[in-house]
Amino acid sequence: MKIIHGIKLGGLQQKIFNLMLIFIIALIGVYVTVSVVLQSNLSKIVQRTSEEQQSSIAAVSEQTMETAVTASMTKTTALQAYIADDLFSDVRTDVLTLQSFAEELFAHADTFPAHAFYPPDKANDGVPSVQMQHEAGVDPQTSEALGLVANMSEIMLSMFENSNRLNSCFVATPDGCILFADDRAGSYIAEDGSVYDFDVRSRSWYKQAVEAGELIFTGVELDAFTGIAGLVCAAPVYQDGKLVAVVGADIFLTAISDYVKTTANYGGFVCVVNENGQVLFSPNAEGTFKAELSKNAPDLRKSENAALGQFITESLKGSTGVQSITVDGSEYYLAGSPMPTLGWTVISAVEKAVTDQPTVQMLKSYDDISDGALFSYRDGANQATRSVIIATIAILLLATTGALVVAARVVKPIEHMTKRINSLTGSDNVFKMEKIYQTNDEIEILAESFAALSSKTRDYIKQITEITAEKERISTELALATRIQADMLPNIYPAFPDRTEFDVYASMDPAKEVGGDFYDFFLIDDDHLCMVMADVSGKGVPAALFMMASKIMLSNHAMTGKSPAEILTATNTAICANNREQMFVTVWLGILEISTGKLTAANAGHEYPVILQAGGKFELLKDKHGFVIGGMEGIKYKEYELNLKPGSKLFLYTDGVPEATNVENELFGTGRMLETLNESLDAAPEEMLRNMRRAVDDFVKDAEQFDDLTMLALEYKGDVVS
Amino acid sequence: MLNIEITPNDNALLVSLGGRLDTTTAPDLEKRLSTDLEGVTSLTFDLENLDYISSAGLRVLLSAQKQMNQQGEMKVLHVGETIMEIFEVTGFTDILTIE
Repeated sequence: MKIIHGIKLGGLQQKIFNLMLIFIIALIGVYVTVSVVLQSNLSKIVQRTSEEQQSSIAAVSEQTMETAVTASMTKTTALQAYIADDLFSDVRTDVLTLQSFAEELFAHADTFPAHAFYPPDKANDGVPSVQMQHEAGVDPQTSEALGLVANMSEIMLSMFENSNRLNSCFVATPDGCILFADDRAGSYIAEDGSVYDFDVRSRSWYKQAVEAGELIFTGVELDAFTGIAGLVCAAPVYQDGKLVAVVGADIFLTAISDYVKTTANYGGFVCVVNENGQVLFSPNAEGTFKAELSKNAPDLRKSENAALGQFITESLKGSTGVQSITVDGSEYYLAGSPMPTLGWTVISAVEKAVTDQPTVQMLKSYDDISDGALFSYRDGANQATRSVIIATIAILLLATTGALVVAARVVKPIEHMTKRINSLTGSDNVFKMEKIYQTNDEIEILAESFAALSSKTRDYIKQITEITAEKERISTELALATRIQADMLPNIYPAFPDRTEFDVYASMDPAKEVGGDFYDFFLIDDDHLCMVMADVSGKGVPAALFMMASKIMLSNHAMTGKSPAEILTATNTAICANNREQMFVTVWLGILEISTGKLTAANAGHEYPVILQAGGKFELLKDKHGFVIGGMEGIKYKEYELNLKPGSKLFLYTDGVPEATNVENELFGTGRMLETLNESLDAAPEEMLRNMRRAVDDFVKDAEQFDDLTMLALEYKGDVVS
Repeated sequence: MLNIEITPNDNALLVSLGGRLDTTTAPDLEKRLSTDLEGVTSLTFDLENLDYISSAGLRVLLSAQKQMNQQGEMKVLHVGETIMEIFEVTGFTDILTIE
């Protein structure tokens, strides 16, 4: 692991650090995301709320305004209409009064004397008075009705005096005379003092009244004398179906005109539209609502502005609703109110921009407040963001340091432990608990486990050391035993350097350290050579011990001069007397009388010896067998004799030779054993054994030798010296 | 390898051996017999499949024969040529009842 500034890269410390870092970064990520989302949501909500509020305020305000305007306009217009109409209505009543009075007059003409009448008198100018005028060429004095209608002089004068609206009231006769009640007598008299003619029957009011046969209003006309807009109300008077008079009154519309003019304030105005859809009075000098007293003035009902046309049409029919209509590029609230007497209508118009002004102002101030709030909110939010960033950096720094410290604290004991464990050498150096491991966590448990393991390991090592020592001791002892065993057997060659009559050679290769096989040869006396080949049942130390006992007993008995059968019998008796382990030994024992070549032998369950009689071949000697020694008490062994001629050879072996086994589990067998011997008939004992050993090794090859390989060879040469 | 097959039948015991009865395997048989021979009056060894017997094996047979001499009888069946040769060489033919 690479170490940078005391931090092991890839180590536990770094891993813990990484883990914490990831955790913190994830935490910060979530925190920041939530903050941003919340802030943006809040921002959106504020924005939306503001917008909603604005639109709602606008809507409410507009609606409220509209309602207020509607109510107010309807009321105002109605009032104006009512006042205006009242004017005409009064005139109408006056004219109707005059008409009914005239009718009464004519109906009871007999009872009324002719009343005096006078032409206009300049002295009466400005004073209410009644004066007579007539058409040119008409003589008033000849008029039939003039005297009668003059009876109306007082009532007309009273009517004029009591009304501040009437310009004049009058009664005209069909023969072209007329009586006026007014205060402008002067205006009827020319400079030269003559009185102007008055064309009674060509006046439009006369014509219209006669034509209609009932009360009429003339259109607005400019007054013949003053040039002021006015109109005339006239009504015909009939006597028995015959026209006898026409009564009337005329009024100036100055009042209406003046009022209308004063309304042109604050974006609104009032105008009067006649039954033909023509604007009679309006403060506007131009535009759609321009006043025009001409007959050819445009009919607003047929205006290109369909909405306006519709509105005017309905207004003239009596509708009073307020409508919002765009006229001349500006939006207006329009309200109409009928004037029933004349069939006209009063139109009130208010520019919407004006009525909406409070709303606009309110919205603007709300916007200002809202924007201010939004700005402060954003400012606050930005500050919050900055605080978040600073806090994040602070947390990051703190957490990084914290993670390093914590990780170091976790890792330190582990590192210490590693160092301690690595430094453990020798069996006495035990890992012990130390204060640094007392962390109250897994590390402490780990350290305790290590300590326990270490102590156990030390015990094991001790035990193993002891066992190994014991094993080594046993092994040493076994090796020693093997040497002692080998030393017990004659193994110095030539065995009898000064004896030329025979040559004897033997060898033993135990399969384990110590074996159960043994051979022996020794001189009982100068003329007797005793040879023993034996095989103890079993292997190892027990077999070796048993073998030692057997060997000593056999040689002891042999040295007392006993015959081979006697030796075996005595040995058997001795062994059986104390043989709880049921061990036994096969023994071939022969005694050669060196001088004669007579071989006396006995066989206690041992392999057949191999004999080469001089000039012949090696053959198995199927001798008489007795039971193994140590197997059964009271066995009597028998012996046999052979005469060896010089050149004869004897080969003794244990079962390790014929029973040597190769990898194919084939036995070497006595056949191969004899073949090997017969291949070199001249071989000396030592060479014979060497050949046999080689043959067995070649046969066995890689298979393990599992039985002892013990052989003895004797060559009888006879008394070559003698 | 040694295959030991022991078939008890009342007081009789049939021990069938196969393979090699040698130093390595003899202790196994000895151990089995030491417990199984208790109360047995008729012990029979079937050596039909036995290929080889070493002196250690002979010792086990001898022990069994000695024990059976005291508590009943012992027979050895189906002794092959190789085994019979060993029995003859070692004189076991004299003490075993081979049939």
